[in-house]
Amino acid sequence: MNIKKLLTPFTAWGNVTKDPVTIKDPLNERPGADRYRGFHRNDVEACVGCGSCEDICENEAIDLMPAKDTKDGDSGLRPMIDYGRCCWCALCVDVCTTNSLTLSNEYTWISTDPEDFRYIPGIDKKEWDNNNDKGWKKPEPNYEFYPLKRIQPSHLSPEDRSDSFIEMMHGYSKDQAMQEADRCVECGICTATCPAHMGIPEYIKAIRNDDLEEGLRILYDTNPLPEICGRICTHKCETVCTIGHKGDPLSIRWLKRYIADQNPSERYKKILETENLVSKGKKVAIIGAGPSGLSAAHYLVQMGYEVKIFEKLAAAGGMMRYGIPSYRLPYDQIDKDIDYILSLGVDIQYNINVGNGEGEISLETLGNDYDAVFSGTGLHLGRSTGIPGSDNKHVYASPDLLRWIVEGKEFEVPENVVVIGGGNVAMDITRSMARLQMKKYGKVGVITTALEGEDKMPADREEIDEGREEGCIINPGWAPKSVEIDSNGVPTGLNVVKCHSLFDSEGRFNPQTDEDNKEFWPGTMIIESIGQGMDISYLDGKYKDQLEFGPRGRVQTDEYYQTGLPWLFMGGDIIKGPDVITGIATGHKAAVGIDRMLNPEF
Amino acid sequence: MNEDRSLYPEHDENGKPIIDLESHKFLKLWQGPQHPGITGNMSLELTVSGDEIVESKTHVGYLHRGFEKLLERRLFVQCMPTSIRLCVAEPDPNEYIVSTAVEELGGIEIPDNAKWLRMLSLEMARLQVLLRGVPGQAGTFALGLGYQWGNYLRDLILDSFEELTGGRVYHMYIIPGGVRGNLPEGFKGRMLEKLKLIDEFVVKIDKLIFQNVVFESRAKGLGHIPKEWVDKYGVYGPAARASGVMRDVRKTNPYLNYDQLDFEPHVTTEGDVYARSVVRYNDLQMTVDMIRQILDKMPDGGDIRAQTPNVLHWKIPKGETYVKCESSRGEYGMYFVTDGSDKPRRAHLKGPSYTHANALLDKLLINANIADTAAIMVSLATCPPEIER
Amino acid sequence: MQKGINNLIEKFGASDLVERRSGLSFITVDQTKAVAAITHLKDIDGYTVLSFITAADWIEDGKMQLTYMLNNPAEVAEIAIRVMLERKKEAGESMETIHHLWPNAKKWQQELKEMYGVDFPTSPGVNDSFILEGWDDMPPNRRDFDTKQYAEDTFFPRGGRVTHDPATYMREQLDPKDPQYYTKKKKKDINS
Repeated sequence: MNIKKLLTPFTAWGNVTKDPVTIKDPLNERPGADRYRGFHRNDVEACVGCGSCEDICENEAIDLMPAKDTKDGDSGLRPMIDYGRCCWCALCVDVCTTNSLTLSNEYTWISTDPEDFRYIPGIDKKEWDNNNDKGWKKPEPNYEFYPLKRIQPSHLSPEDRSDSFIEMMHGYSKDQAMQEADRCVECGICTATCPAHMGIPEYIKAIRNDDLEEGLRILYDTNPLPEICGRICTHKCETVCTIGHKGDPLSIRWLKRYIADQNPSERYKKILETENLVSKGKKVAIIGAGPSGLSAAHYLVQMGYEVKIFEKLAAAGGMMRYGIPSYRLPYDQIDKDIDYILSLGVDIQYNINVGNGEGEISLETLGNDYDAVFSGTGLHLGRSTGIPGSDNKHVYASPDLLRWIVEGKEFEVPENVVVIGGGNVAMDITRSMARLQMKKYGKVGVITTALEGEDKMPADREEIDEGREEGCIINPGWAPKSVEIDSNGVPTGLNVVKCHSLFDSEGRFNPQTDEDNKEFWPGTMIIESIGQGMDISYLDGKYKDQLEFGPRGRVQTDEYYQTGLPWLFMGGDIIKGPDVITGIATGHKAAVGIDRMLNPEF
Repeated sequence: MNEDRSLYPEHDENGKPIIDLESHKFLKLWQGPQHPGITGNMSLELTVSGDEIVESKTHVGYLHRGFEKLLERRLFVQCMPTSIRLCVAEPDPNEYIVSTAVEELGGIEIPDNAKWLRMLSLEMARLQVLLRGVPGQAGTFALGLGYQWGNYLRDLILDSFEELTGGRVYHMYIIPGGVRGNLPEGFKGRMLEKLKLIDEFVVKIDKLIFQNVVFESRAKGLGHIPKEWVDKYGVYGPAARASGVMRDVRKTNPYLNYDQLDFEPHVTTEGDVYARSVVRYNDLQMTVDMIRQILDKMPDGGDIRAQTPNVLHWKIPKGETYVKCESSRGEYGMYFVTDGSDKPRRAHLKGPSYTHANALLDKLLINANIADTAAIMVSLATCPPEIER
Repeated sequence: MQKGINNLIEKFGASDLVERRSGLSFITVDQTKAVAAITHLKDIDGYTVLSFITAADWIEDGKMQLTYMLNNPAEVAEIAIRVMLERKKEAGESMETIHHLWPNAKKWQQELKEMYGVDFPTSPGVNDSFILEGWDDMPPNRRDFDTKQYAEDTFFPRGGRVTHDPATYMREQLDPKDPQYYTKKKKKDINS
């Protein structure tokens, strides 16, 4: 036997004099490491209850529970964790769209009641809530579970578009649409905010599955004007998109356009299963072929009503055709949507005004001839600032000019134009005039102002940026004082003063200006674009007393847009909005209301 | 007893032992499912004659959780928390093979920084296994002291894991696309301090185990695996290298940045428990050295993850692959099949224990002493969860 | 091309070659020629290690795929032999055994019988239970076995849990008179 190998192991006795390595009081001496994955924390003010945490949890440990008030962009739900199932993998933290969910480094917690181990972090207060610097947070850098950058569709360069009314945005290619659709987390927070409650996550999923026919069916469930909305919708959905908290919101509008663009109009009836609609024999009249009227017509004809639209102008579309320039919304796309609705059997009469004058059809006649009437006559009257000189004939209202451009009416395009207004319509007229000037003079001479400051302008940011790219001067934060008029009765320009604030401390409209800080902007044409008014004079007469009027002269309706006259429903910009998608939503709901009234058995 | 034991039991013309339990010369003995030779649960159905094993049959199924089938119901990213549980003692190779399979079929190239971090976590995982496993071999002969020391050092490595990954046992660190964090501040320095302690431990272990007449006399000649059996029975990793066959995926099929490291896995020819202990003892030292090299060569921060498609509905085209890495026990692989959907069609884990603890163990235990079963099983580093998954 | 692939194609009519990466190929061999092809790979082409045998269930194509992963350590090369069995509705597909080539093959074959219902007649102990005990349902790794349903039927989930879908919940809160469901119901009514 090897004596050395018998004795060597006894060197271990050397440890007898050494201190033990055990931690004596682990609960106090041994906190979790800085990244330790312990119990959940949630910043419930930042959380929007999108439920991505619930989706990614493979253990089904997370439930969404009502905990806050529901509002646009916030479901009011908050995640509840069941620690009987949680495995502390923290994928819920990594996927969180707002970075509100984190794990603390606390790993000891004792309770005799098992129900305690199911709680809503941030709502049910825990002692580790305030230990914000320790524990698991979404890793850095460049660690994202979904791409945060938006895929931009290609568009005409400012040089190519500045003298042209050709559509400037190109649609998505298939690859682009797939990539953009991939970014969606399918939370559906956008759905409630969309006035029409479109099935946004569902149609985006259809794009991912490359099933565009299913996509079209989903679009038509809630919106019969997808080509139009796919181009010019105010896309409130995108402002609440949860991906927007960390990155660019999804380009929901261009995705919708992609679906509509890819489906040929010949196949619509087959795809949407509307080849054999059966009539029930009841008749509905619709006043105005704008978004709300067309929407109501579409859903009513689908439900089996005979629908007739009375339209004042020579073509259908309302403000979509006569208010939106074709570089944003080409006419053939308007026609594609409208022709499909008309092809379902909707009758339409053009160039007929509803009113009490000569050659007009009266509301009373419609009320007698039809079982129900829906009116969506819209806002077509330009409002005036009322400043000195604004009554000059060279001071125009934007709706008139925009309509003239569509109708091809000849009018003088001067070298210098001043536009008053900061909304999307003001941007439309600004950029339309710039194009006309570019064609005529080879240069742009438009200056546009608004009371609001740069960051408060109501127009879409991209409209402002693109307008500037095209050479328009957009100079917000000025209040118009007077129109300067020369001896020939032609304006020479606009006097403006700096505007500091719009509202007083109580929130009332009360612009504060600095009279010393003034400028004079030359222009021989002044365009006012500060909002539009409605013309509902057709209500005058025997019905007026039976209707109730609210603020700004709007007729009061119930939630189905039924007025005090049971057979009269009203919707669109004259009731709500103004914008296209709200018009569509009101038309849809009014159609439901009409059906409920005429077929109460449902 | 000086009788020639090779006479019992008698064998029939096919070489099978003739075992007649009624003769009272044989005894059926169950070892397990709580067994000192393994982490996890497994049973041995032994037929013994005296204290000598004449026949052995392994029984598994005590840990079956249907992981492979569960993965078929999970999104690719959701596979991670489940798949790490395929092996408790060393979960990181699971993270690596599942992530890599997803990346390979999904066409994702990970950042270089993430490759180094993956290597670091894989080598740290090997280190913590060996810190327990090398002295643990002596523990099967009731020499438990080294095991205690090793466990303390293993705890220090788990502390490092906690700092780096946020978890001690289930790290959830490697994820499709990359890893979940750069080194925390001061990590390198603390790690190097711990490696110094392990250097001291390595010397002490040598004195305690390899300069120990008890260990030597019991381990030498025990559980002999001839070289020819390596291919025939599917022997991998340290066990194969102890029988004179070079088997190390890091060397033969370099993955991540292992080709940039300088290392030479130890190979010896004896093929017994002692040889396997020596190989793993050398592996322990080699791992310490490799961690030093990794810490030295890896970039100082950088990107940790490549952008993948949205993990909530990441679909991978139809395809199949086999991804493998070297775990502390040997080749550890994942056969992964995708079908164009957002979930795997099939995920099959291939761990060395499957072959080690089944047909091979049954063979090795014949003529062994009852008291030596644990030593043989530990020397093969049996991990039952990877057998039944 | 890897060693042995040419032989497989020429001698054994192998098809559907996928070279996944350098040193890893997948190839399909007809069921009747598979064992001969595997023997050839082992004895002639140096694929001396059997890494694993497993299955993948292509229920929608009516196929049960067996995958034999063979390793050639000298060439650092792997070939996966796919064998596409006709899938039977009630399990019971059958394949020749290869336990005579590698003794440990019997364990995989035993497991495949138990978990997939693929039989390997004459493989030792193929009918013994391997992992499951007292199992009387269909082989659980087949695609049509619903693990979630099994778990729900077998175990007792903790009661009292509810969850809410954000989109639905928000619409209920913000616009209870959402016209969508109404219109959808109507549409169905008309078409029927």
